[in-house]
Amino acid sequence: MYKKSDLRDLSNIIKWDLMKLKNQKIFLAMRLSWFIVQITVFARVISLIVRGFTGFDYFEFYLLGIYSSLLYTSSISRGYVLADEFDSGIVEYHLSLPVKRSVLVIGRILGSAISALLFTLPMMFVILIILKLITMVLEIIVSIITAFLFSIGVVSFVVLVVLRFKSGDATDIFFGTIDALLIRLSSVFYPLPIIARIAPYYYVALVNPITHFSDFIRIIFIPEYVLYTLNPIGMVMYILALAIGLLVLLIDYYEKKLEAGSWK
Amino acid sequence: MGNAVEIMGFTKSFGKFVAVEDLNLSIREGEIFGLLGPNGSGKSTTLLTIATVYKPTRGDIYVLGHSVTREDYIVRKLVSIAFQDPKAMWIDKPIELLTWHARVVGYSSSEAKKVVKEVLELLGLWEHRNKYFYQLSGGTRKKIELAKVLIQKTPVMILDEPTAQVDVLSKHALWDVIRSLKKDGRTVIIATNDMFEAERVCDRVGIIFKGKLRAIGTIGELKDLIPSGDVIEIHVKDRVINERVVENLEEFGLVKISEGVIKVYVNKGEEKVIDIIDMFRKHDIIIDKLMIKEPSLDDVFTYITGAKLRED
Repeated sequence: MYKKSDLRDLSNIIKWDLMKLKNQKIFLAMRLSWFIVQITVFARVISLIVRGFTGFDYFEFYLLGIYSSLLYTSSISRGYVLADEFDSGIVEYHLSLPVKRSVLVIGRILGSAISALLFTLPMMFVILIILKLITMVLEIIVSIITAFLFSIGVVSFVVLVVLRFKSGDATDIFFGTIDALLIRLSSVFYPLPIIARIAPYYYVALVNPITHFSDFIRIIFIPEYVLYTLNPIGMVMYILALAIGLLVLLIDYYEKKLEAGSWK
Repeated sequence: MGNAVEIMGFTKSFGKFVAVEDLNLSIREGEIFGLLGPNGSGKSTTLLTIATVYKPTRGDIYVLGHSVTREDYIVRKLVSIAFQDPKAMWIDKPIELLTWHARVVGYSSSEAKKVVKEVLELLGLWEHRNKYFYQLSGGTRKKIELAKVLIQKTPVMILDEPTAQVDVLSKHALWDVIRSLKKDGRTVIIATNDMFEAERVCDRVGIIFKGKLRAIGTIGELKDLIPSGDVIEIHVKDRVINERVVENLEEFGLVKISEGVIKVYVNKGEEKVIDIIDMFRKHDIIIDKLMIKEPSLDDVFTYITGAKLRED
């Protein structure tokens, strides 16, 4: 009865996060409201202003940026879910299950990344419909794979932070601060050539994974955007390296150091 | 039967605080073993380390021969745990949580549904299956925690204060369930601060206090640790007891006489009672009533640790 493959364990652990998805109706409603306001009001108003000053079509840029922002905040929100789970002692329960620690952590990260993706995919499709890009099947598949990798990286980072703080309050404060900051210090809403005029801002944006993700998504759907940003191969490699690197760090932490207790 | 759990020089510290210090303990296969101690004594820390949730600071613990530090994955297949605080989010539903649990511990989808239904019915929880956790009483939540262990069916089962917050009627039903686990050949380790529970359920008990094991044995053995462990209470017909009788009684143990009732504090009272009756017969004193009383486990705990188990 206890002989089962690690793959099956992995699938079951992933189901934990998927099972909890329906419990996040309030979060989904909040994100959805934000999304509707963004696409119906801000995207149009800001695009009109930018076009008036520069002639640049900011609407496509802004809407694809909204998707990147949504995916990022949805992935970050996993940090709050995990912090809640620590508070409720769920982590102790999970650590006691007959599952390898590496399988447990990979399962939680994949489950969280899939959850974040499921949250945002409908909104991505709405954006693609508005931009009349919905027929670009191959591009959509590539963007989903990239989004999944990006989400893995973000969720792994979030879990590392949560485990480092071991405090619900500290987690709330930290993510409340960096959530807004990292979005602003990236090319999510401002093109890199504009950011380049402010040196420190530009260098932060260059190392910010959100810049790489949002601009790579733009290049997928608007190839000419490649002229305004970094090398797309480099960007996707950065996202991939970040996802794998942080996940490996997290696996090591789970296997060697993680234990229950000391949660503040 | 060998040992199911071997705790060898186990120490667990959290920063400067030493929760458990140099604990050595063997728990036999197929027994119900009770870890008795007040809150904060180190019971849960020990149990959580057996379940690989904590890592030992020093020493090691072996479960059926497998080390919790080097073979934690194997140990987790052999041990299940019902936590002291039920592990669920307030918006979880028992049926979903337990079905997921059953799948993770190795049941197929159809088997999981079947075993979850069986266990929920056994614990009288079937009607609560679709309620949210926040709608359940503390006792019901505890039973759901126990359900996880009953579903998992591992050779070693850990129950951390399994009947805390459970009503009296349900307590007796749960004790029956726990005893049935022993009949199935499983080793059950119970942490409790309920003396009555320990006496009713456990084969052996270890008293743990301030992170150290203070005593271990069967309930009888522990009671015998108290000098004058049994109380022989004697009521005599004419209430007249001469000094010679008292002197003879003092050879058995401490004697106290109050309102014609003689109390003799002895070790292993059941072995000495015949000699005491003979002694009275020789003095032609008619015994009206004689009782052997055991000290409670509470008395044992107080004697060993110098503390009361419960504040109340």
